[in-house]
Amino acid sequence: MKKTHIVLLLLVAGLMGTFVASITSTSRSVGFATAFADPGTEYKVSGTLVTEFPVEYNPLENTTLTKFHLQDKEGNVQEVWLQEAKPTGLERSESIDLYGKANDGHFHATEMLMKCPSKYNEQNHLVEDNA
Amino acid sequence: MEYLGEWIWAAYVGRLLVALAFAAALLAMVSFGRGNIALGRKAFVAHSLSTLGVIALIFVLFFGHRYEFQYIWKHLNNEMPMRFVLSAFWGGQEGGFLLWMFWHNVLALFILRRADAWQREVMTVLSAIEAFLGIMLLGIYFGDFQLGLDPFLLLREAPNNLGLPWTARADYLTSIPQFTDGQGLNPLLQNYWMTIHPPTLFLGFAACSIPFAYAVGALWRRDLTGWIRPVLPWAFFAVGILGAGILMGGAWAYEALSFGGFWAWDPVENSSLVPWMVLVAAAHLLLINRNRTKPTALFSTVYLSVLAFLLVLYSTFLTKSGVLGDTSVHSFVDSGILPQLLAYLLTFVAVAHLMLLEDTGSRKVYGGLALASLGVVALGHPALGLLAFLGVMGAAAVRAFRKEFRSDDAEDALWSREFWMFVGSLLLVLGAMHITWQTSIPVFNLFLEPFAPLLSWAGDATGWETFRALAQHDLAPGTDLDQTYHLVQVPLAVLIFLLMGLAQWLKYKNSDIRVVVSKLARALLAAAVVTGILLVTYQFKLHEVPRVALLFATLFAAFSNADYIVQMWKGKLDALGSPLAHVGFALTLFGAVISTAQKDVISQNRIGDISTLNEELNNSTDLLLMEGDTLPMGPYFVSYEKRRSEGIHVMFDMAYFERAPRPYKTGDIVVQEGMVWQALDDHEASPAFDDDVENHWNFLPFPTEAQTGRASRWVNGTPGEEVFRLAPRIQLNAQMGNAPEPDTKHFLTRDLYTHIKWGRVTPPETDEEGWLGGQSQAFAVGDSMFVGGVLMTIDSLRVIGDEERPARGLLDDDLALAACLGLRRGRTVEVHDPLYIVRGSTVVPDLYEAEGWGLRFRVEKFDPESESLEMTVWEHESVRRDFVVMQAVIFPQINWLWLGCLLMTLGSFLAVRFRIRQGARTRRHG
Repeated sequence: MKKTHIVLLLLVAGLMGTFVASITSTSRSVGFATAFADPGTEYKVSGTLVTEFPVEYNPLENTTLTKFHLQDKEGNVQEVWLQEAKPTGLERSESIDLYGKANDGHFHATEMLMKCPSKYNEQNHLVEDNA
Repeated sequence: MEYLGEWIWAAYVGRLLVALAFAAALLAMVSFGRGNIALGRKAFVAHSLSTLGVIALIFVLFFGHRYEFQYIWKHLNNEMPMRFVLSAFWGGQEGGFLLWMFWHNVLALFILRRADAWQREVMTVLSAIEAFLGIMLLGIYFGDFQLGLDPFLLLREAPNNLGLPWTARADYLTSIPQFTDGQGLNPLLQNYWMTIHPPTLFLGFAACSIPFAYAVGALWRRDLTGWIRPVLPWAFFAVGILGAGILMGGAWAYEALSFGGFWAWDPVENSSLVPWMVLVAAAHLLLINRNRTKPTALFSTVYLSVLAFLLVLYSTFLTKSGVLGDTSVHSFVDSGILPQLLAYLLTFVAVAHLMLLEDTGSRKVYGGLALASLGVVALGHPALGLLAFLGVMGAAAVRAFRKEFRSDDAEDALWSREFWMFVGSLLLVLGAMHITWQTSIPVFNLFLEPFAPLLSWAGDATGWETFRALAQHDLAPGTDLDQTYHLVQVPLAVLIFLLMGLAQWLKYKNSDIRVVVSKLARALLAAAVVTGILLVTYQFKLHEVPRVALLFATLFAAFSNADYIVQMWKGKLDALGSPLAHVGFALTLFGAVISTAQKDVISQNRIGDISTLNEELNNSTDLLLMEGDTLPMGPYFVSYEKRRSEGIHVMFDMAYFERAPRPYKTGDIVVQEGMVWQALDDHEASPAFDDDVENHWNFLPFPTEAQTGRASRWVNGTPGEEVFRLAPRIQLNAQMGNAPEPDTKHFLTRDLYTHIKWGRVTPPETDEEGWLGGQSQAFAVGDSMFVGGVLMTIDSLRVIGDEERPARGLLDDDLALAACLGLRRGRTVEVHDPLYIVRGSTVVPDLYEAEGWGLRFRVEKFDPESESLEMTVWEHESVRRDFVVMQAVIFPQINWLWLGCLLMTLGSFLAVRFRIRQGARTRRHG
C-alpha cells in the first residue's frame, strides 16, 4: 500500500468526521410551538417584533435583560427574555432571529440577530410620503 | 419634458463607457482566443480606458453631489466629509464590481507588459472574466428581467420610483427637499478601515483570477507543467494580498464595530477566508511541482488553482445575491441580480470542469449533460437541475482525474518536504470544505427542497435531527457559532501548524529524520516551555485541551520557522519569505487564540442585585455607570464624566483611574455578599475579600442598627491617579439606526476594549417645570421599581381614618386611601403616601410630591379586590442623573495577532520577490 493511499484513507476518515461533526452541531430554525413543546433545547426562532407590547429594558435593575414580544412565522406570539442590553434599533427591526430555548412562560434568548430595513425601502417611504 | 438641473449628459456618457468596456472585453476575449494578439491587446487597452473612464465619471458625480443619480443619492449626503468618498464609491454593489474590474485591469497591464509565453491564454480568460463583470453593470431590462445594475441610473428612472407623481415634475431636484440631499453612507462604513479594507480584499479577489487563468491556459494547451513557474509569484501575491485583506476586515470589526471581537465566523467573513485557504493549498502544491523534475499530484495542483477562483465567485454569489439574508449581519440585501450571479458562477464552473477533460468527445458529452441539467432549471425545477449540474461537474472532475491525469506518480519519500506539504495542503482544503458546508446551509435549505421526503426518511432512519431539519428546510447553523466551527477547525489547525513547523526543516526529495528531529528539538522545547508558562499564568480549564494544543502547535510552528531563519538566513532576503510568512501566520493564530480564550469581561455589574430575577438571566457582563459615579472595574476605577456631541457622534467620556490601596481600620464595618463584617485590625484590602476574611474580619451575625448604619460596601481599593481616558461613542444615523462604536486603549500586552451597550443620545423631554415621565403604570402591593436612582416599593395600602382627614385637607365625607410607598436612595429610607380620594361619586385627582426626592405621584385607579393600583410617577430633572450601560473587555496578548499579520504579509511579498527573481534567472540560463 502506498503512503499516498494511507494519507488518502486518513483524509477520507477526516472528511467523515468533519461531516458528522457538522451534522451534529447544527440547530433548527423553528416556530414557538416546537420550541415550547421541547423546553430546554436550543432552537432558532425567527419572527417580528410585536409593537403592541412595550419593549422593557430597565438597566437600573438588570443591564443585560430586555423583554419584548415576538411573533414567529406561524403567527404565535410569545414573550422573549433576551439576555443582552437592549439592542439599538430593536424597534425598527424588520425581522429578528433568536437563538435560545423555551423556559417557563417565556423564550429565553441568549443571542439575537436583527435585520433592519434597507435604505432602499426607506427611500420608498420617503418618496411616497412626500408625493 | 426637460428636467431642470440634471447632468443628463453624464448618464449618456457613462452608459456609453460601460457598453464600450463590455464590448471591448468581449472583443479582447475573442481576439486573444483566436490568437490575434495584436488586436487583443488593443481591445483590452480600450476596455481598460473605458473602465477607468466609468470610475472617473462616478467620482466626478460624487464630488459634484449629483443626487439625480441613484448611486450618488444612496451613498452620499451633504454632511459626509469627502475623505470618505472612496468608501462611498464602493459602498454599493456597482462600486464593488467596478473596484474588482479596476484591479483586474491593473494586473492585466502587468501581464501585457511582460507578454510571456502564456499571454494569449491568460488574457483570453481575464478578458472573459472582465466581460462577465461588465454585464453586471449594463443595467439593461428585458421586460421585467434586469441584466446588471446600472451605476448611472437616474433616481427618477429607478423601477420603484417609476410612475410616482414627483417624477413628472421638471423641477424635482430643487423643489423636493429629499433630493437636495442624499441618503448618506452607512455610518458603519465611515471610517478609515473602510477606505483600505475593500480595495485590498478586492485586489486579493482579482489576484485569484491569475492562477485560474494560468490553470485554464494549461488545460487549454494541455501543458500541465509549463505554467507552474510563471504562475508561482502570482499565486503568492494573491495569498499575501487576500490574507491581508481578510485580516484588515478583522481589524475593522475590532476597531470600529461593536461585535466584541475581530472574527465572528460570519458568512461574509468566511466566504473570503475559504478561497484564501484553498489558494494557500494550491500555492504549496505549485511549489512542490516547481521543485520536481517529475511532476506529482498535477490534478490537485490544477484543480485547486481553479477552485480558489470559483470559490471567489461563489463567495460573491453568497454575499451579493441576498441568499444569506437571514444568517449574516452584513450581506447585501436582494438586489435582483441573483440569476445572473448564478449564471456567472455556473458558466465558469462549467468551462473549468469541461477543460479538465482532454478529448473533445467527452467534453461534448459532459457539456451536453450540463446543458440538459440547466434546461431542467429553465423548466422550473431549479433545485433538481442545479444538483444534476453539480453531479455532472463532479463526474467530469472524477473522469479527468482517473483518465486524463493518469500518471505513474513517483512515490514520494516519507520524510520529504513535498509529502508533508501535500498533506498539509489537503488538511487546509478539508478545513475550507467544512467552513463552506456551514456557510452554505441557507443554500441547502433552498436547493434541497425537492428531496424533502427522502431527507425525512433519512432523518427517521438515522435519528439525525439534521436530516429532518433539511427536510423541512429549517436547518440553521449551530447556536454557538464559535463552538460549531472550533470543533473541526481547531484540530485541523493543530495538525497544520505542527506540519508547518516540521516541513520547513525537511528537505525536498528525502531527509534523514534523525537530523531533522535534532534540529527541531530547540523549537519543541521552547514551545513546551512557553505553553507551560501560559498554563500557569492563565489557568486553562480541562475542557480547553484542544485550545492549549493549538497554542502549543502555533508556538512550535513559530519557533521552528524563526529558528530556521536564524540558522539559514545568511543575509539573503530570498530565503526569508516562506519561514517569515509561516512565523507570521503562526503568531496571528496564537494571538487570536489566546486573546479570545482569555478575554476578560471586567464590566461586571454590581448595582441592581436586588432583582428577584432568574439567576440564569443575570449574566452581569455590562456595567451601569451613573454620571459622576466612580466605580471599580477590573484593575481600574472608571468614572462616567459627561456626554457630548461631536459631529455625527455622541461621545461618552470615561476617565480611568488606577487602583490605590484601600486601608481599613480596626472596628470598620463593611457589607460583603449581604453579610456584615467588622475589621479586627488595621490592614490594606487584598484584591479579593476571601483573602482577607480569615485574618482581618469578624462576622457579625446580628448587627445592631447603629452598626448597619455605618456599614459600607467592601471595596478592594480606591481611585488613584487618572491614567487614561476613553470615549466610546454612539454614531447617530436616522436612516440606518444609531450604531455604537467602541473605543480601545492599547497596551503592549493587552487591550482594553469598551463599548456602550445602552445610552441616551439626547436628554429626555421634560415639561416646563422640569418634570419628566408621566406614564401611568399598574402596581400591586409588594412591587418595586427604580425611578431614576430611587428604589420605590409599594409597601401597603391603608384607609385614611377620620382623625387624619383635616391634616390631609380632606372633607368629612371623603373616602380616601393611601398608598404607602417606601422610597430608598442609598441608605436613606422614607415612607410617602399619595392619596386616592373619592368625593361623592367622583375621583379627585391628588398630586403628591415627595419633597427632597424629586418625585411626584398620582394614584389614578384603585382596585380593592386585587390590592392593585394604577399610578403615575414623575421624576424631576434636578435629581435625575444620566447613566450608560457599558461593556469593557480585556483582550490579553492581542498584539501578537497584529504583529503576525504584518510578518505574514511581509513574508508573502518576500516570497513573491524571490519567485520573480528565480523566474528571471531561469529564463536567463534556460
